[in-house]
Amino acid sequence: MIKSLSLNQKLGLTLLLGLFAFAVLVGGFSPYTIDEQNLSIRLITPNSDHWFGTDHFGRDMMTRLASAIVLSFSLGVFCVLTSSILGVTLGVCSAWAGGRVEQSLDVLVNILLALPGLVLVLLLSAIAPGSFVVLYFAISLVQWVEYYRVTRAITRTLMDSPERQVSVMMGFGKWYQFKRHIWPAISSSVFTMAAFGGANAILMMASLGFVAVGIQPPLAELGLMSVELFPFYVEAPWVLMQPLIVVALLVLGFHLLAGASRESLNSTH
Amino acid sequence: MNLLIQLTDLSINAKELELLQPLSLSLYQDKPLTILGQTGSGKSLLAQAIIGLLPNELSQQGQVEVFGKLHDRGSLVSLWGKEVIMLPQEPWRALDPLMPAYQQVLEVYECLHGLTHEQAFNQAMDDLDKVDLKSSASKRPGQLSGGMAQRLAVTAATAGGAKLILADEPTKGLDVSRRNDIVQLLLQSAQGGGLLTITHDIEVARQIGGDIIVMKEGVVVEQGSAEQVLNQPEHSYTQSLIGADPRHWDQRTKGLIDKKPVLSATSLAIGRNGQALSAGIDFTIHAGEVVGVVGDSGSGKSTLGDTLLNLLPPISGKVNKRVSQAKPYQWLKLFQDPPAAFTSSVSLGVLLEDVINLHQIDRARIAPLMNKLKLAPELLARRSTEVSGGELQRFAILRALLLDPIFLFADEPTSRLDPIIAKEVTDLLVNLAKEKGCALLLVSHDPHMIEKRCDTVVQLK
Repeated sequence: MIKSLSLNQKLGLTLLLGLFAFAVLVGGFSPYTIDEQNLSIRLITPNSDHWFGTDHFGRDMMTRLASAIVLSFSLGVFCVLTSSILGVTLGVCSAWAGGRVEQSLDVLVNILLALPGLVLVLLLSAIAPGSFVVLYFAISLVQWVEYYRVTRAITRTLMDSPERQVSVMMGFGKWYQFKRHIWPAISSSVFTMAAFGGANAILMMASLGFVAVGIQPPLAELGLMSVELFPFYVEAPWVLMQPLIVVALLVLGFHLLAGASRESLNSTH
Repeated sequence: MNLLIQLTDLSINAKELELLQPLSLSLYQDKPLTILGQTGSGKSLLAQAIIGLLPNELSQQGQVEVFGKLHDRGSLVSLWGKEVIMLPQEPWRALDPLMPAYQQVLEVYECLHGLTHEQAFNQAMDDLDKVDLKSSASKRPGQLSGGMAQRLAVTAATAGGAKLILADEPTKGLDVSRRNDIVQLLLQSAQGGGLLTITHDIEVARQIGGDIIVMKEGVVVEQGSAEQVLNQPEHSYTQSLIGADPRHWDQRTKGLIDKKPVLSATSLAIGRNGQALSAGIDFTIHAGEVVGVVGDSGSGKSTLGDTLLNLLPPISGKVNKRVSQAKPYQWLKLFQDPPAAFTSSVSLGVLLEDVINLHQIDRARIAPLMNKLKLAPELLARRSTEVSGGELQRFAILRALLLDPIFLFADEPTSRLDPIIAKEVTDLLVNLAKEKGCALLLVSHDPHMIEKRCDTVVQLK
């Protein structure tokens, strides 16, 4: 698996693993907590006690960043898992069953597609601001559609293919047909979509934090931290830079991971 | 006689690998030239070099002279359309799938000759009338049969008025009557010009006449006039090529081994999507019997097999399976295009394991059967994309036979294979079916093959 990755994908994977390792290590060893205030040392530059400096309440930036990364990561991973499993399952079932099932799922998907994704997420999270579960639910609801559409299109052509017909005639079951014929054809597309989906989920969460309907203070979240630190951009630009750089690195990591090589794209005929 | 093409010491290399050894040939006006050889013999590369379509990764040495002028890859492009034309292998890939038939011809007149839309339309309809396509003029390529699409492609290609035609396997996968039509059409279009045909079909070479070059793995093994090469072949390779033509196969003794009926069709009408293709089909297949199905393209040969296998519902009439204790997986099908019938996600060995595990097959049976099918054990480590079509089709036969089929429907199992391999595979299939007492329904577009190998024949109209 690792061998088949391109250089870009390896870079992306290293970047993401590095960020995650940083977050876990800092979370485990940091002497500070994310809401421990000390107004006498607010907005100080990085030093030996506070490696990344402190924010406007004197909270340790490194600890807060680590916590924010873990939060973003877990949301991204949960959303990708849920939406891909849901999308792929429904996509395969829809193409397999055809007829009414396919039609009604298509109607549902078209309704979801007609609504702009971020607006839908905004709407849902505005109902219950600060709830991680609602955020997760809303983002997954938007993202599964893409998996559904791609999977259904590829599966449909495979339904009539000689290779599956042979397996059916030889008496193989549905799980086998999925494992041998459908999954190999859709897997590379699903992985690419999953990597982009991870980046999108993180961006959506940060956007919601930025407009103050996402995760609520005092929790640390990248978008929320950016907006909180925004008034101090003249006084302490290095503090504002930190959450922005981390968002950029996370998205870059996922996008590099998504960059499938030309050959692997071609192989999904 | 006018000299149209003169090649001097043309060779083609892929880095260090020599794909085509230095070759010289001349093509004269009204004296067609046919290049005969199997897949991988470098004959398509030769045509690509002549027309300037050789992929950039390949390098060519030697001289290409067309109409008395020396050309390189770039300058050949200026000859396309009005002077030189190449007919592609698979016509439906060269046609626009969304454009009605007449328009594909019309555009040539409109864009290449600068006629007005109306003039171009009339010209196009005239052309289509000549090849019997007038009634299908507004159909899209997907609605045409293979033979019709081939004729349309020839018509569109030659509408430019090119005097020099290069045809790369123009008859691949066509049945005999269509094949002869296309050959006639080619000869007719090339009158007063030049025709260079690439084929593996001896019969096509015979009909075209003129000169023949026989190639094997990038080397010219024999060269001469058609009569001389085809009637007194000197090289052993040419002899085996000619021997592989079904018309020269030895006749096998007909007769039934067994009188046990396997399947019978009574006043069966077959078709797809409710449209009947053929009706009034009555026959019974017995165990160990080889039944050939012949008929023109579009007469429902494949549909008949699919209906018998219950993959399609019959339009009317009945299919009776006469063996009540047979399992569903003992009714099997061999596909026309071997690579399409296998997933390339895992190795062939894994696919074989899957079948063995599913049906608890005795592993001791595999080695002797593989031996009989001349399948090397190393093949099992490879994927379907890494083995040849012939090997893959034999592997398909192996997998089918392990399931002890009582009825096997072979849908043109060898039409995509080279003639020598096709003969081998057909013989293996027929012999093994006889040996195992399996009823075999063999579809082929070649009446000679059916006549030489089948016990009974079902004619579709």
